[in-house]
Amino acid sequence: MRTKTFKKGIKVPHNKFTVSSPLVECPTPDVVYIPMCQHIGKPATPIVAVGQHVKAGTLIGKADGLVSANIFSSVSGAVLAVEKRKTPLGALCDHVVVENDGKNETESLPPLTDRSRESVLRRIQEAGIVGLGGAGFPSHVKYAPKTPVDTYIINAAECEPYITCDHRLLLEHTEAVLRGAMIFCELLGLKRYFIGIEDNKPDAVAELRRKAAELGIPTDVVVLKSKYPQGAEKQMIYAVTGRKVPTGGLPSDVGVVVGNVHTAYSAYHAVEHGTPLYMRATTVCGGGIQKPANLWVRTGTLYSHCIEFCGGEKTDCVKTVSGGPMMGFALDGGMYSVTKTTGALLFLSAEEAHTSGCNVCINCGKCAKACPMNLMPMYIDLYTQRGDYRSAVKYGALNCIECGCCAYSCPSKRQIVQSVKLCKKKIKESV
Amino acid sequence: MRQTVSASPHITDPKNSTKRIMLDVLIALCPCLVCATVFFGYHVLINLAVCLLFCFGTELLYGLIISKNFTRDGVKKSSVFDLSFAVTAVILTLNLPAVMQVSYWGLNVVGKNGAVAFSFDTVVLCALGSVFAVALVKMLFGGLGRNFANPACTARIFLFIAFGAGGAFNLTSSLFGGLEQTGATWLATRDTVSGAMLLDMFLGNTATAAVGETCAIAVLAGYVYLSVRRVIDPRMPIITVGSLAVFALFFDVLPSGARGVAVLTETAAHVLSGGLLFGAVFMATDYSTSPNTLVGNIVFAVGIGLITALIRAFGNFPEGFSFALLIMNLVVPLLDKYIIPKPFGYVKKKREKPHKTKRANTLQVGDKAVGND
Repeated sequence: MRTKTFKKGIKVPHNKFTVSSPLVECPTPDVVYIPMCQHIGKPATPIVAVGQHVKAGTLIGKADGLVSANIFSSVSGAVLAVEKRKTPLGALCDHVVVENDGKNETESLPPLTDRSRESVLRRIQEAGIVGLGGAGFPSHVKYAPKTPVDTYIINAAECEPYITCDHRLLLEHTEAVLRGAMIFCELLGLKRYFIGIEDNKPDAVAELRRKAAELGIPTDVVVLKSKYPQGAEKQMIYAVTGRKVPTGGLPSDVGVVVGNVHTAYSAYHAVEHGTPLYMRATTVCGGGIQKPANLWVRTGTLYSHCIEFCGGEKTDCVKTVSGGPMMGFALDGGMYSVTKTTGALLFLSAEEAHTSGCNVCINCGKCAKACPMNLMPMYIDLYTQRGDYRSAVKYGALNCIECGCCAYSCPSKRQIVQSVKLCKKKIKESV
Repeated sequence: MRQTVSASPHITDPKNSTKRIMLDVLIALCPCLVCATVFFGYHVLINLAVCLLFCFGTELLYGLIISKNFTRDGVKKSSVFDLSFAVTAVILTLNLPAVMQVSYWGLNVVGKNGAVAFSFDTVVLCALGSVFAVALVKMLFGGLGRNFANPACTARIFLFIAFGAGGAFNLTSSLFGGLEQTGATWLATRDTVSGAMLLDMFLGNTATAAVGETCAIAVLAGYVYLSVRRVIDPRMPIITVGSLAVFALFFDVLPSGARGVAVLTETAAHVLSGGLLFGAVFMATDYSTSPNTLVGNIVFAVGIGLITALIRAFGNFPEGFSFALLIMNLVVPLLDKYIIPKPFGYVKKKREKPHKTKRANTLQVGDKAVGND
């Protein structure tokens, strides 16, 4: 099979241990803590009062402005409190605390009769659909582009190690994903879309092709080389279309929109069944958890609840990560809530995680050889360590996509991408 | 259990470490070391032991003095354990003749057959070279990764310039076996090149200036190993050697009047002679003293080929690889400064042609009296 790809990048161990574990529903916890900031943009405004009875699917947070998204309750029960709690990134955010009454009553949006572009877009907005790949950008903004778009790509690369939830969705809910993507495709005014998928998922490729032919959905499944970061937006666009997103630009500059598998799935259910977004597929994996699994988790479920369901942490678990091991963020405990963008919860053992210190740079250039953006990470690191951020920018600090290839491939275990992030932050502050 | 919170990525390549790279280089050097010992005898092993000891000692001592921490802990934290000292020591050993005699010292034990049994001169020179390489070239400039030139190469040049006049060694001949036996390299003699001679150069040639240059096959074995292990970029030695072949062809072989098959054989002799092959594989690919970009590396490699060819054709010395390498080492910071690859998706900025409008803008700002400067 001929596979397309991008230049440079690295090979990472796949470690997809949960690839054959079907999605199972994580039992609803007794209490959920639903954050109002599960997306990029303004946090939603809580619109429920303490003591009010809500059902799963009741609107509890209203989008504040255009770049914001609605938040729905994920269980039925009474609102215990609306309180400020810490998010994994350290910020304080309003959380609606709902006590689960165990009745699991659901509420959904009224069925969509009018299938015009405007009403579908409004439904996407109402249902609180955001990009579920990790960024959480509100979909109703993304799929109403101001510049002409001629290509739509569904990103099914899932290049990060361990994560398999998109793979499972593709296998178990192929039709929903294909139809959901078609909804987005029509919103963009296109007739056809691409699915970019890595060649380590041959079963999903076959299933997608079979189902698409069966349903008559016009799609091209593009098989890509399994290489990290194949799922990075710019690299995905280059691999599929051969177009290069200009530095500092957006995919729309080359007429492309890239969407996520899970977003397409959620959009399908929102449009067809009126189900708002309050549940997502999450991979719980790593050498530090007893029973790795793919779970359907309700937003607001505490991580500790998922840990409990998966048999608890092993004793040698040294790192808890929300998201993939290459780009996710480490947590200091399980007291955080699953949000719309929590694609994975990883528990890394000492063997897997790198926690020791770094050595001197030996100028081997392996980071530059790995960098998919063709930057010179060693100099960015060097100048950032010296506090000379302007020189760091000369070597491309602002073009970094923070994929972490440099730090992964460094023989001296230098924290290169971490330096770049620091540099970007400092530059932002200084402007 | 305590959990660590840190920025991503949370995994790194476990098989990839500085020590592992150094170990790979050492493994790649083994065939050369074995060949050197086979062709030049136990002297090579004595030199190796001296170089290893002094390189290790110098780096350890330097680290202890700088950190002012003479405890067990200080030793533990020393940089010697990354094995880079061993690479320097082995390359230095292979870059020196088996026996070096300083005529005005004459501290040699001569065996019954008239051959040198043990050369104290050589031991002193090896020790001196090691200290020079590690202390002056490497550690003074910040240790591993910060040295401006290849330590072993610089030490070789130092020994050659400082003790060459004493008859210790020169780049044209080597003393092996005994005082009377002197093998002059082809670069010095410029004999007519015969097939047997080329084969000899390829398989194991005792007429070399340094012990590591003796066998092309051993060097090739090291090259293949380093390429497979992805320690070096396999293209670089080829470019270095290839550019030397081309430049030697035009500067030396053709002007010397060689025609026909002689053109080929003499160019081949150029490639197989001197420190070129060994240096191109093991020294010109040194991480800290070679550029970090592909284009920079190509300029670097071609530069080495060019300067080596120039020295061989027009210079005072018959061989010039180490000088060429040293000169190009010094150019590396420049290459790294000015050759910066364009990032993915780079678009050439449109040149701001309307200089006038720009001025008009400033004027406008001035009119509104909000200009900062």
